[in-house]
Amino acid sequence: MTAARKLLAIRSERAFNTVVVGIVALGFLTLVAVAAYGLSVMRENLIFTRWVAHTYEVKGAISDFLINDERTETARRGYLLSRDDLFSNSVATTSTRLDRTLLTIQQLTVDNAIQQANVAQMRTLVAQQQRAIAVSMAFARGGHSDSSEFYHDTGVEATRAIRRLAEQMTQEENHKLKIRNAGQQATFDQLIRVSVAAGGLLILLAFGSVWVILRYTRQLNRSQRELAQLNEGLEEQVMTRTADLQRANDEIQRFAYIVSHDLRSPLVNVMGFTAELEAAAKPLGVLLERAETEAPGIVTEDARTAIRIDLPESIGFIRTSTQKMDRLINAILQLSRQGRRVLTPEPLDMGGVLRGVADNLAHRASELGASIDIDPDLPGVVSDRLALEQIFSNLVENALKYLKPGRPGHIEVGGAKVGGRVVYRVTDNGRGIDPKDHDRIFDLFRRAGAQDQPGEGIGLAHVRALAYRLGGTVTCESILDQGATFRVSLPARLEPARLGPEGFSS
Amino acid sequence: MSEQRHVTIVMIEDDEGHARLIERNIRRAGISNEIRHFMDGASALHYLENDDAGPALNGPALVLLDLNLPDMSGTDILARVKSDDRLKRTPVVVLTTTDDKVEIQRCYDLGANVYITKPVNYESFADAIRQLGLFLSVIQVPDVEAKG
Repeated sequence: MTAARKLLAIRSERAFNTVVVGIVALGFLTLVAVAAYGLSVMRENLIFTRWVAHTYEVKGAISDFLINDERTETARRGYLLSRDDLFSNSVATTSTRLDRTLLTIQQLTVDNAIQQANVAQMRTLVAQQQRAIAVSMAFARGGHSDSSEFYHDTGVEATRAIRRLAEQMTQEENHKLKIRNAGQQATFDQLIRVSVAAGGLLILLAFGSVWVILRYTRQLNRSQRELAQLNEGLEEQVMTRTADLQRANDEIQRFAYIVSHDLRSPLVNVMGFTAELEAAAKPLGVLLERAETEAPGIVTEDARTAIRIDLPESIGFIRTSTQKMDRLINAILQLSRQGRRVLTPEPLDMGGVLRGVADNLAHRASELGASIDIDPDLPGVVSDRLALEQIFSNLVENALKYLKPGRPGHIEVGGAKVGGRVVYRVTDNGRGIDPKDHDRIFDLFRRAGAQDQPGEGIGLAHVRALAYRLGGTVTCESILDQGATFRVSLPARLEPARLGPEGFSS
Repeated sequence: MSEQRHVTIVMIEDDEGHARLIERNIRRAGISNEIRHFMDGASALHYLENDDAGPALNGPALVLLDLNLPDMSGTDILARVKSDDRLKRTPVVVLTTTDDKVEIQRCYDLGANVYITKPVNYESFADAIRQLGLFLSVIQVPDVEAKG
């Protein structure tokens, strides 16, 4: 799969995931809304139920009232017929009860204007009836038993009116009951519908969620597998690249080695035959001397110049040049050998290493009147001893070599641990290095400043090559005429991966 | 000394200059044995194995071998010589510019008798060759085919 296609797939996958998550979220929201609606419907249903119960209560009260009314009437009649005081007492109690039930009805139907009006009317009718009862009973107590009086009694009318009114009120309540029952039924139906809808939605959501979870799990498994494969591939790639780099590096080392060896071969000839020439020049010189004494006439000025001046001078130049070339080739050879040396990291007491370096240079330092100060608390490092000895002896030697004439030399070596690295510095108060040369001085055969000291421009190149091999860097800070500071930054622990090829020695 | 006169020094060296310098310095050491010079491996092997005057068929010889040859590696020649029953006792002095430890070890493993690195410095070079000459004047070279 190409990277672009993979990216596209990932993007569409992301869009799909967003949609799925959105749908599921929407489903849950809907479920919550449905639940809320269901609750409200339930509440409504509850209210309806309460109202229905209330209506039944009112109806009960009305029938209670009617029964009491009938009882009152019955008691009165009983009294009128028997004149028994038992009946007059009964009239009194039922009358009170009548008033009480009427009050109850009035309180229960406080929300209903029609019933209130009915109750008010009822009260008048009851008063009318009571009055009639009282009149008729007083009349009876007085000894009258005329039933005609009884028939013209307004109480009968009132009682009838009361019955009619009570009937009306019951009708009214029945009407209310019908409406409320219908409402209750409607909300109940609604509740069932909502429940069914919620149930369906829940099942749908459950299926959806399970599907999404399964899908995610599968995706997760797949990407985990892909990741594992990718990881393996990556490791392989890194190994291949490392091997490539190692091969390239080995190639360069071999190249440097072969070139320097093959350059040596002709150099042997140049030097050898130069020596032969020199040797041959000696008998020539002797011959010239003899000719000068024995036959001065045959000695020409040209021959004399050639033998005495030109020949030795030419040979001299050839010699110095070839010697220099030999040193350069040896330097390349040394660098290539250094690159092939197997590093052996060990815990190093850098104070000890630096004191060893300083001791080796102590004689030169005292000759030059220079002092070397080493920080007693130099941080330690796990690295290759020989490489570090070479690095620091080159740096300290350079510092001694390029002192400012007329200024007592002072060289300081310090160091500090910075994170996982250790940075050492070699500071001098010598003649310094022009900032434009700060990079150049690390190149092979390149030097800076006045060329008044012997050297081929190898030391710092060597230092840098060694520092690189140890996984470190070397930098220079300097102001011309004011001294220089060289900083060597090294990993506190040299990783085995940085070591040279196994079993490759020079 | 008279016996040494019969020993032929077979010099396998592709650099004429080196050959000449080696020869001169051997002569300066007082060695007057015949020196046969070969510039490449093939002709040197042919001489060693097939020439009537060569060590395989005739008199004793000593081989001076340079490792860097144009047509084949000096170690190949060394291996050929040391695996040949007629030639394996012939002393081989490897004289070359290579000072690679591995290379030196390999040569001795293959049966080289002496390994000398050519010093670039001429004085050392001449000195080394002269000492080689002295060495040659005292070593005994086996007589492969009994000669009358």
